[in-house]
Formats: sequence, structure tokens, C-alpha cells
Amino acid sequence: MTGPVTPSSSLEGQLVLVIELGLPVMAGITEGLEDVGAEVVTLHDPRLADAQEEVEAALATVLGPDLAPVLVVLSLLGEATATLKPLDETDLVTWRRAASDPIRIAMRVLTALGRRMKPAGRGAILFLAPSLSLVGGPGMVALSTALEGQRGLMKSVARQWGASGVTLNWAAAAPRALSSHFDAAELAAKGDAVPIALGRRPDARAEIAGLAAWLASPAGGGVTGATLMIDGGEWMVP
Amino acid sequence: MTGMDWTSAAGLLTGRVAIVTGASGGVGRGLARALALAGARVVVAARGPAGGQETVAQIQAEGGQGLFVATDVCDAEAVRRTVATTVQIFGGLDIVVHNAASTLARPTPLEEINDALWAEQAGVSLDALHHLAHAALPYLRGTGRGRFLVLSSAQGQHGGAMNPAYTALKAAQRGFVKALAREWGPHDIVVNALAPAALTDAAKAYLEADPERTREAMKSFPLGRMGDMRDDIGPAAVAMCSDLWRYVTGQTVNVDGGYYTAL
Repeated sequence: MTGPVTPSSSLEGQLVLVIELGLPVMAGITEGLEDVGAEVVTLHDPRLADAQEEVEAALATVLGPDLAPVLVVLSLLGEATATLKPLDETDLVTWRRAASDPIRIAMRVLTALGRRMKPAGRGAILFLAPSLSLVGGPGMVALSTALEGQRGLMKSVARQWGASGVTLNWAAAAPRALSSHFDAAELAAKGDAVPIALGRRPDARAEIAGLAAWLASPAGGGVTGATLMIDGGEWMVP
Repeated sequence: MTGMDWTSAAGLLTGRVAIVTGASGGVGRGLARALALAGARVVVAARGPAGGQETVAQIQAEGGQGLFVATDVCDAEAVRRTVATTVQIFGGLDIVVHNAASTLARPTPLEEINDALWAEQAGVSLDALHHLAHAALPYLRGTGRGRFLVLSSAQGQHGGAMNPAYTALKAAQRGFVKALAREWGPHDIVVNALAPAALTDAAKAYLEADPERTREAMKSFPLGRMGDMRDDIGPAAVAMCSDLWRYVTGQTVNVDGGYYTAL
């Protein structure tokens, strides 16, 4: 990369919701969305992990009773899920909190978003997660279980809501582009001489935010249910 | 279609001991019979004694060794007891096949999934994996024969439109398999998932009700049919649990007659 990248898909004056539960990964992305003119509201409310009515109430605090964002970027990666621990050292309570609860939380959040976005007849929802959930690794059984479950849910709901004009996609980003949390983890990596084609991590502010903005633009309206690897060409799958 | 010639698989699992959950009927029964035909001694782990005993009877009628152990896979203590009984009766444990699925895994729109429905389905799909992995690990590791096979579904890969909870859980199981394969690799344990297109009784009834629909549906299968649970799905499971597939781990294998070629 020779210089700063400017996201080209304008969201001038458009309402964008950034939802983050648990591990903070959204700071650069929020800035990038503001760079392209979006009116960004952020939601870090712990009520997102509660019952459906609490999720609806949390959304109402930032969106009022009926506002529908054109773009939602969300990361639901709670502390229990992000804590790397071998499965045989994980008790049942922790397992549920780390592996299955995040999928249920994603269901509730999507249900609440759908009530706003489907009647509006348009909108893009982008899950953001570290690519390591697709690859797996020691100590990551709960993390891979939870995030792959959320990704499967995304596909199912993308099919259910497609006719309404709402798209759902998944961005699998290089983990260290999102957070330093995984710096000490034993991450799986391609064993090639040049493991990352671009030779660098993606820039969250310019490139991950740019991807999100493009998905919310008319040009991105035909993409739904997709898993978009934004890892600089590390894995190149499928 | 001709039946499977099981002489080609005879002995592949001789000396191995397997637990198959949800083996009181359907795919689980087909898998249990297949593993036994390949020489494994099979514990049929299921809640229903009638179906479980029937599976054992079929295994024995086919010359194999089977044992029914009443098991609720959502109950950690019950799973521990089943593993302990297996080791006590058969002298060890080499293969765990988690096939059990919730009877509530029916098409349900996202907005109608309540906490009770989720808890039941997540219990069978995810809690059970936790229980089985914890209980089985001491016996699976270090022998080079340890196999942990999860029955998944292509819906978890392509996104089932009608059943978000089932789709999410089957996708979650795929994530479980990928990470556990990396975690248990140093223990020389192979961890995989199998996604079948099986001609279950329910599928058979659905298709038989409308022959025209059946003809149309079968056009999507390059092999022109859904898989027989013992003779089409079973041999793949046998191979995955045998030494033949000892270098394949962390994978989800679609055993579907070629239905999903894009996954």
C-alpha cells in the first residue's frame, strides 16, 4: 500500500448503526463510516445479551421507536467467547456462555433489527468477526462454535429476508486488524512462504469500513449471505 | 441401486469400540449397523429403549456386537455413565459418533424461536458435544485410533431458509469440529463432520406422497437418489472412523450423492 485509502461509497447523511457486544473491535470502522459521511450511532448496551424485550429497549435508546438504519455493522463476541481455553478445561456453564449463548443473542438482535429494517424495504447487515473462527485453533472450540453458528444464522436469515430488500453478510477479517486481543494466541496460519498476499493487514478505518459502506450502497445490493474474507489474501477460501 | 457389498469393508473397524448417539432409529441406526458390519462393537446410545433395542437386534442379526445404553445426551452425568459402561463392557472406546438431534428441530421462523425451543435444540446439538468430548477424551487420546465424528447438515453450510435455529446449530457444530480438530490433533485424535442426504423414514414418506415431486427432486442428485442410511451414508462413516481416513481431520464431508457440489 502506497498511501491512505479513502472509502469511495458515500453514506452521506445516512443512518448507520454499529453494535458491539464484548471485545472492542469497532473503533476504526466507526471512524471510517463517519469518513464517508454516515451518521453513526453506536450501541454497546449489555442489555443486548438479555431477553428480547431488553434488546428492543436497547435499540430504542439509540434509534427511537421506529428508525431503521441503512447499514448495521455488528460484532457479538463476548468475553467468554473471546477467552481462549481448551475444551476439556471448560465447564458447562462457561461453555454455554461462550458457545451457544452468542448464537441466541444474535437471533434476538436480528429479530429486533428485522422489525425495523424489513418494513423499510432496504438495508444491509454486516457481521464482523475475526477470520480465525473459520480456521479454528487450540483453545478456540467455543469461539469457532459460536461464530460459525452466528455465520450459519446469517445465511439462513439472508434467505428469509432477501425478498424484503435487507441483505446480510459476514466479514471475516484478519484478527490482528480488529484487536490486539489475539496477539498472544496460537493462530493457525498458511504455511506458504508469503502467507498474506498483500503483505499487510487490512486497514479497519479505510478498508473494512469501505467494504461495509459498499455493501450498503446500491452497488452492493446483490450480495447477500456471503462470507467476505478481508484478510489481505491470507486464506483465499473457498 | 444395488446393496452395499459389506465384504469390502469387513474388518476395517475390527477391535474398535464405538458409541453412536441417537441410534434408536433413522440415520443413527444406519450408522450403528454400518460400524458393526465393519467390525466395531457398538454402543447404541439413545433415550428410547424400544428403538435402541431394535437397533441392537438388527446389529446382532447381521452378525455384529451391539449394546443399548439408555442415554440422554443433554445430561452430562448420563453421558459419563454411558462412556464408563462402554469401557467396562467392551474394554475401551475408540469412536464417538454424535448423531442425536432434537425432535423439535422443525422449520420455525426466526421471530418465533423462543428460549425454551432454543435451549432444547442447543442442548442436544452443543451441550451434548461438550459432555461427549469431556467424557471420551481420556479414552480417545494417544492411541492413534481416536475418532470423533459429528453428524452435521448441509443446511449449516448453505443456510437453510426455513429453520434458522437448526441451521445455526449445524453451522456451529462445523465450527466445533474445525477447532477441536486443531486442539486434539496433538492427541492423535481425528475430528470430522459428516453431512448426509439420507433417505430417512420422514423423507421417504414425503417423497412417496407425490411421485412427480420425487422425480423432480431426484434430478438434483447426480446419483439420482437419496442415500440409504446403512448402505450409502454408513460406509462413508466407516471410512472416516477407520485408519483409511487417519490423515483427514477438521473437515465437513457432504455424503449426499453429489447434491451440493458448490459447498
